[in-house]
Amino acid sequence: MALSKIDIENMVTGETPVANGGTGQTTLAAAGLTRPLSKPIIINGNQSLSQRTTSVTASDGIYCTDRIKHTLSNDGAATITQESLSSGSAFTDGFANAMKIDVTTADGSLSAAQKYHFRYNIEGQDIQNIKKGTANAEKLTLAFWVKATKTGTNIVRCYTADSDRSCSIAYTVSSSDTWEKKILNFPADTTGTVIADDNTVGMTFTWGVAAGSNFTSGTLATAWASNTSANDFVGQVNNLDSTSNNFHITGIQLEIGEFSSTTIPPFQHESFADNLTRCQRYFRSYGGGDAHEQIAVGYNSTTTQGATFLDYSSPVMRASPTLAVSANGDWKIYSIATAYECNSNMGASDTTPRNMKIFTPHAGSTTVGQGCMLQADNTTNARLTLDAEL
Amino acid sequence: MVVTKAKYFKVDNKNTSIQATINGKDVCVPLDEDNTDYQNILAWVAEGNTIEEAD
Repeated sequence: MALSKIDIENMVTGETPVANGGTGQTTLAAAGLTRPLSKPIIINGNQSLSQRTTSVTASDGIYCTDRIKHTLSNDGAATITQESLSSGSAFTDGFANAMKIDVTTADGSLSAAQKYHFRYNIEGQDIQNIKKGTANAEKLTLAFWVKATKTGTNIVRCYTADSDRSCSIAYTVSSSDTWEKKILNFPADTTGTVIADDNTVGMTFTWGVAAGSNFTSGTLATAWASNTSANDFVGQVNNLDSTSNNFHITGIQLEIGEFSSTTIPPFQHESFADNLTRCQRYFRSYGGGDAHEQIAVGYNSTTTQGATFLDYSSPVMRASPTLAVSANGDWKIYSIATAYECNSNMGASDTTPRNMKIFTPHAGSTTVGQGCMLQADNTTNARLTLDAEL
Repeated sequence: MVVTKAKYFKVDNKNTSIQATINGKDVCVPLDEDNTDYQNILAWVAEGNTIEEAD
């Protein structure tokens, strides 16, 4: 349909021009343009990236899909997977992947301190525009697709560590094992301290899966208040109470402002490459692409140690990362046409958010000062990871 | 996060990182207070544990 004209008045008043014959006008805000030219606040909201693993046993602090951290303490067990979708409302809405929690050992009677949560942390410097702690603080809308075997009330808590304040919103899973889109409105927080403009945790959204009475015995904090654990997850159903239970989520989307199911802007899908790049600020993985994949180059610092330089400056990581590698025998130093298998844990120095020097011990004997490479030792199982998550 | 072992790694007689076992996994943690693993190690030390000196 051709656009017959653009009314300058509309542009001045903030209304979106409408094509000839169109019906009604929409404000820029309602059209999802409160953040023009910006990327989605939530990274990997469509769960399309899972750099660490696509399946892992749930444990405290574990990640499966990128950016989603699982925090738990209970007597049950679960497997977390990145699942491919091929049917259901989330799939038909454009989501090809989801994060799934499959209960493998039930815990039907949680003790007071037991729980299963998963959370998404946002850097403080990435959430300054909500103006939290000021008179101009913004409301927030969190949207996501959820599918759970267990019907009933679930809770999402928003927490700001700098002011130790939180607000929890309930939603209902109405139909068992059916994708449902949820829109949660969080009020503006005009009190408390502002969020520090830095690379530490500024805001955390936590989804309840199960929660003991330490988190449920109070009154749900539906308005912003100083954090009280007992008010965090009041009414949360126990999704761990049967091995038949699964909990799936995808399409996680955070918008500034108050939206409903009819006004929420479309999910901003990013290209795989853009999503990967944004996730790599927090985690990145090397290896697996080739049996002799070359990771870093350097020199022989001693006759039994290679010192290699690894650059990861694009994008700059959030903080100096933790280095982890698969089995020592998966790695070798290659120097002057000879391979020297790694025989002890690697170390690092000069680690910054941009690069590090990796020291790889071996039985020797190399010539000090000559060049060398760190590479996989004839296996695609070799993995070297850098972790700077929040 | 459960820290079960931590030992400094030294280069040119200077501690440059910590070789640690966290949640059963061997990792090398930078001495950066923005790094959450380093924060966990400092909390572990505050509980009375000790980081071993480097070899």
